[in-house]
Amino acid sequence: MYLAKEFFQKLMRMRFQLLVLPLILCMMPMALSGNTTLSLDKSGFAVFSDMPVDSVGYSDLQMREEMDFILYLVGRGDLDEGLFLLEGLRPAGEKWRDSLNYLTGWVLYRQKNLDASAGFLLSVSCESPVYHKSHFFGAYNLAHTGDHAGAGAVLSSMSLERGKMLAAMKRLQLGGLALLARDFDGYSVQARHFSGQYHVMAAEERRMEQHHAGLRDAPGKSPWIGGLLSAAVPGLGRVYAGKSAEGIVGFLYVAALGLTSYDIYRGTGARNPLFILSASVTGVFYVGNILGSATAVRRTNKEFNHEMDQRILFDMHIPLRNAFN
Amino acid sequence: MKWTSVFCLTCTFLCATLSTEKVHGRDQWFQKADSLYVAGAWFEASIAYERSYYLSENALQRVLANLAKAEALKQMGEYSKAHDDLQRSLAFRGSESLRLEVLYQMALCAYMDGDDATARSLLLQILHQFGPIPQQRIFLLKGLVMVDQARWDDLRQHLEVWADELYDDNAAKDSLLTAFDVLKMGDGLPRVRDPERARLWSAIIPGSGQAFAGSPGWGALNAISQLAALTGFGLLAWNGYYIAGVVAGLGPFQSFYFGGIRQAGELAEQNNSSRLERFQTAMGEFLLDVARQSDQ
Repeated sequence: MYLAKEFFQKLMRMRFQLLVLPLILCMMPMALSGNTTLSLDKSGFAVFSDMPVDSVGYSDLQMREEMDFILYLVGRGDLDEGLFLLEGLRPAGEKWRDSLNYLTGWVLYRQKNLDASAGFLLSVSCESPVYHKSHFFGAYNLAHTGDHAGAGAVLSSMSLERGKMLAAMKRLQLGGLALLARDFDGYSVQARHFSGQYHVMAAEERRMEQHHAGLRDAPGKSPWIGGLLSAAVPGLGRVYAGKSAEGIVGFLYVAALGLTSYDIYRGTGARNPLFILSASVTGVFYVGNILGSATAVRRTNKEFNHEMDQRILFDMHIPLRNAFN
Repeated sequence: MKWTSVFCLTCTFLCATLSTEKVHGRDQWFQKADSLYVAGAWFEASIAYERSYYLSENALQRVLANLAKAEALKQMGEYSKAHDDLQRSLAFRGSESLRLEVLYQMALCAYMDGDDATARSLLLQILHQFGPIPQQRIFLLKGLVMVDQARWDDLRQHLEVWADELYDDNAAKDSLLTAFDVLKMGDGLPRVRDPERARLWSAIIPGSGQAFAGSPGWGALNAISQLAALTGFGLLAWNGYYIAGVVAGLGPFQSFYFGGIRQAGELAEQNNSSRLERFQTAMGEFLLDVARQSDQ
């Protein structure tokens, strides 16, 4: 009797297992079949889903899993892999479009493919929570690729609440763009609103003012003056361009060749072929020095502008990184 | 309600266990990655292995996925990345053999990436953690690292140990070591030409530094150039063109003279490294032959 009681008690305890065992056995082949895998949702629910690769039109859950994995890859620096997966994603609806554009743009931005990045970032719709970040970075990418007008148009189209940090960011970016375009009046319009009250951009606002002063006060050097100076005194045009060492070397070359020609002229006269050869070489060096001086001035101007552009872009970039990362 | 919850949780647990650890502990992503690897799609395979690593909750599975991913990356020539990825599995303590495999693969990737110091460090870790392991591939890798680091005496000792593992009879061991000695001494461990001495020679006798560095042709050309420039100076000065002589004769002469000194040093450095590289290639081939023989 005691044994029978214990048996039934055990049976009661095992009721659950007995009940579910057939069901589990029914599900096992499903779990073990070829193309089905089980994954756990963030909420903890388990679902069966087809493997994402080769499928057309991803469900929300698959998209979320894929995006999580891509974020993981991008986070660990596997940008090529992340981009490869992003290119293969085909969401069933439009819901994921913004996320895809944003992530693709972000990966391309990190790969320094700024032109392509801008296209994706600027495709993010205003309903997206990353709209502002995408458009600010998209505009920056355009600015970096030299499309200042495009970047300005993007920033101008963003409607931002006055007195907020993003509005100040927009002013700073527009100011930077104006400086890149050497539009000093346009810069002054934006700079009037620089408040210095947001720590993410206060230092950059100050530096932007320094860049403005640097560009405004920079004496624009003329290649013509450089050439004329070198025509008067060989090498002087290069000194004017700020390349003193090159100027001295140029002077020495032309002077040495000139002296050689004079030496030969003194000994043989003007009709001697050796003098003609020597004078021709001296002439080539002399003219070359003039042209070289003009080029040196142009190079100096280009270097100055490039350096200023890089500084301005840097000071446009840092606040974006500070504010959005 | 309670029974329903218990039922669902049980199903969830069992299905999760069964579906992720299906065949020999390999999940579907791992299998997919394997098929991509076999098909030669290394890049796609590396992503699939990474996904297997990412999704797996089993430490052993992750190490296996990581090792397989390293294989795919090696096929792509991404040795540095493979090395970095494998570092994630260094903390694994579940299996000594797998840990050894991870260390070996890291050492191999470091060697293939040209980072001999790291490869040596990892091989030393293997030695200290697992003791001397009589695996041909470890002998080979250790030898190749020694070749790259030009540690010839260490390589000789290493070959002695390797020969002890390979052969039972002393004649075969001696034959291997003799072959090594012949290669080292007979064909010649390249003599290093001191670049400073080459510069000094060129300063004293134009062209001799280049010849000392192993490039007599360049030496002759430089010497002739200097002689021609001096001759030009002499002829011009002889005819009374002193300034022209200085500019057209002594100017080029000083360029050739100081340029020759600089060139002698650079040629010595260049020739040293190319000779050493040739010797290292020959020595590497020798070690690969030894490994091939041991495989047979």
